[in-house]
Amino acid sequence: MNDVERIEYTPVSVRETLILMKDISELMIDLAYSAALFGNRELAEEVMELERKMDTLVYVLNMNLMLAARDKEDAETLSGVAKVGSLTNSISDAAADIAGMVLHGIEIHPIVREVFQRAEEHLARVQVSEDSFFAGRTVDDLDLAAEVGADIIAIRRGRHWMINPEKEVVLPEDVLVARGTASGLEKLVKAASGEAKDLG
Amino acid sequence: MAEDKQLFEKICGDLVELKDTSEMMMDLAYSALLYNSRQIAEEVMMLEERMDNLHTEFELLVLSSRGEPEDARGLLGLIRMGVVTERIADAAAEIAEVVLRSEETHPVLRMVIEDAEETVDRVMVSEGSLVLGKTLREARIPQETGMWVLVIRRGNRWMRPKPSTVLEAGDIVIASGYADGEEDFRKLVGGDGEQVLPDENF
Repeated sequence: MNDVERIEYTPVSVRETLILMKDISELMIDLAYSAALFGNRELAEEVMELERKMDTLVYVLNMNLMLAARDKEDAETLSGVAKVGSLTNSISDAAADIAGMVLHGIEIHPIVREVFQRAEEHLARVQVSEDSFFAGRTVDDLDLAAEVGADIIAIRRGRHWMINPEKEVVLPEDVLVARGTASGLEKLVKAASGEAKDLG
Repeated sequence: MAEDKQLFEKICGDLVELKDTSEMMMDLAYSALLYNSRQIAEEVMMLEERMDNLHTEFELLVLSSRGEPEDARGLLGLIRMGVVTERIADAAAEIAEVVLRSEETHPVLRMVIEDAEETVDRVMVSEGSLVLGKTLREARIPQETGMWVLVIRRGNRWMRPKPSTVLEAGDIVIASGYADGEEDFRKLVGGDGEQVLPDENF
């Protein structure tokens, strides 16, 4: 059984929470498709991690919406907003279903995979090693998009996610999710894992 | 076997389009919500119709591929992926419905809506437009107006902007960005009259 945690009320900005939920659901979709196309279980597991994060966010969002209602007009409008929250959650559920497919061994037809692999952009997941030169530098500072044509789109530190990181410092043991060309990703993964000392 | 290959290429093409369409819908639905734009919400509803047709075509195509028994699992994977794109699209359409249903002036909506500083807008490329026949790279819309192109609609096709996309008369360009760039965006893309945009590097 999964651990079910009690979720406590935290005051949050409704708009920022919705935007965060949107960003997470988009990341989940990207990861889930990649997981399916490459039969990659690690990517699928990341989707499931994000799904848990999303579930928490929905609760917190709804708590904040409930406290904001003062009269029936407020309630009418806020239930629309709550609806958006739950729809965003359904989007993430859809992504989680693709990831579930991967974890249950339902594969994508090999010919389809072959065609998709010709697509320009791919996703990769890599853990930062102690001796990688990424460690201790910010995502902006690394400037990977310009250097290799692949970029970090999310960082997971334990159970904490940073989506679309910019000023965040990359630390050893962080799990990076990167998007880019196949060759760019290869360089990025080698550098992050410490296998290569530069991006050459 | 060559026939199979062709059919699968078509299936893939459809799946890519389903995926792209559902993601565009999500993007537009959220823009409609955050910038409180009924126009953009309507755009999502149009895409929903397109999506439904595409999805049916896709499923028919998968079902018509005469796979061997061992292909069945692979085909099931495809059908499931199609269903997921459809679910994402449905959720996006429902978000657009929330926008279409909401009272625009209600104060609590301010909890969600972006400050008036940012906006989303759609403009048609006219015959007299400065960007007509140019690629997006040449059109320099973000540099000139501060508006970022989200989607281009051509007839009943919706496309993600690429640097190489050539703008044609009648294209609907949907973009978001700072509200003070909106006027410039309308002039540059809509091309109403002989007003030329001031060149910053003059």
